[in-house]
Amino acid sequence: MLALEVKNITKVFNGKNGKDILANNDISLNIEEGKIYGLLGPNGAGKSTLINIISGIMLPAKGEVKVFGHDIVKETVKAKKTMGVVPQEIVTELAFTVEEILYYTSGMYGAGIGERKKLIDKVLDDLDLGDKRQERARNLSGGMKRRLMIAKAIIRRPKFLILDEPTSGVDVALRQKTWELVRRMNKEGTTILFTTHYIEEAEQLCEEISLVNHGEVVKQGRVSDIQREFTENEIVFELYDISAEQLPGVNKNGNEFQLPVHDLQVDMSKVIKHYGTNLKSVKSGAASLENIFLKLTAE
Amino acid sequence: MSAYIWALYAREVKRFQKIWFDTVASPVVSTLLYLLIFGVVTAGRSIEGVDYKAFVYAGLLGMVMVNSSFSNPMFALILSKNVGTIVDIQLAPISPARVGMAYAMAAFTRGIITVFIAGLITVWFIPGVGLDHPLILMAALVITGIEFGLFGVIFGLLLKNFESLTFLMTFVMQPMIFLAGVFYPISLLPKPWDFVSIFNPLHHNINLIRYGLVGYSDTAPLLSFAVIVVLSLVLFGAMNAVASRALRK
Repeated sequence: MLALEVKNITKVFNGKNGKDILANNDISLNIEEGKIYGLLGPNGAGKSTLINIISGIMLPAKGEVKVFGHDIVKETVKAKKTMGVVPQEIVTELAFTVEEILYYTSGMYGAGIGERKKLIDKVLDDLDLGDKRQERARNLSGGMKRRLMIAKAIIRRPKFLILDEPTSGVDVALRQKTWELVRRMNKEGTTILFTTHYIEEAEQLCEEISLVNHGEVVKQGRVSDIQREFTENEIVFELYDISAEQLPGVNKNGNEFQLPVHDLQVDMSKVIKHYGTNLKSVKSGAASLENIFLKLTAE
Repeated sequence: MSAYIWALYAREVKRFQKIWFDTVASPVVSTLLYLLIFGVVTAGRSIEGVDYKAFVYAGLLGMVMVNSSFSNPMFALILSKNVGTIVDIQLAPISPARVGMAYAMAAFTRGIITVFIAGLITVWFIPGVGLDHPLILMAALVITGIEFGLFGVIFGLLLKNFESLTFLMTFVMQPMIFLAGVFYPISLLPKPWDFVSIFNPLHHNINLIRYGLVGYSDTAPLLSFAVIVVLSLVLFGAMNAVASRALRK
């Protein structure tokens, strides 16, 4: 079953000078139930706008979003009941303690009074927030506030969890903790969609990704397929003596040299024959998502 | 009421309880001060057989109900928009109409608690005041609380900042209160203000509350009842339309 179907979503904002700003242009994507899906793109690419439309905060100008089969515009409440969302911006209630916030939030997601304490205990434990239970949320550190936001989103164990840059501005320990939690929730059956600036995050967690730039999807698919597509086009090697005469078509990139490939076997033997023992390393291994990202989002 | 709305309602009640001095104590103190001043200045006077202090007492309690229920959701929503916590309501699986009703019910709760405390503390200054029509008083307070709670939700969602809130309270609510007959019967107003006051929705709330408490009314109680019921229904529709647009852009 599809956890999320996004079909031809377009969103336009009115700009200050009367010019329309196209935040999302005909975006489509599907997420199978049980997957971890990454939405990558530079600042202002339109990721958060798309997240806001999927989570029911914004209305699209065109297109359709279905969450577990429920149309987010026509069956908003049903669709929202399946979701937990961690917004990008850290916001906290001024007057309430951590426990109070979780108590009322779990209620607003349908938890009865009797089951709330259990849910709060579990989520505080999951996010190492137990000792902050009686603390006023406004007095928490940035990282703790981020944990609290995650706690609010997962307290009712949603079927579909959306995280909008959940690890931005948090320390390494919390980032690892968040990854661990994402993996664990996914294993327990939660489908996860997240946006991130950290490419390594997408590489480690996601099975599929969409790369978004200027409001459009520029690449979409399984991480391994995308890596293969970009990798099979070049051989990357290092030399002991970098002043050696280069084969025609070789480009230098830092300490590495790259040769565009027409036929992997032929070109690889050409490289080995030409450089011989001067070769320090040679590979046609997976291109990093970072390089792919940079290539695809380059102006 | 489902758990979803109940939780939002309970959260809003908890919020005003946490700042009880501003939300409950302040209006109680101002009611007390008004009564002390009017008690001294108008000692021994009456309006159509009703002791003037009792007349003002009923009007002041109506004013407290209106002010408390109007300002509670308005302040909460403008604050949450400015702080960013409005996103919690936007993300929750609760329809906009139900969000509005949860806020309006919390507004009524704050209003009734404040009126009860203010009434209890100040009733000692009004010897002989009774409950002439308790059921009418109860109905008037409930409808007034919900009605102005809905007003508060609408303006809370429409207004962007606290400057607009101050403007609204000073230039719209205060004149409406003064033309509603809180401190005097509207028949004492010069023309055309006595006629204009009939169209002031707030007049009918005050009129009905006063009729329930001391048995005096400027306008036919049935007319006032009909006006506030119809207005509440219209406001519910308006709140639903505003909330649907404001919570989802």
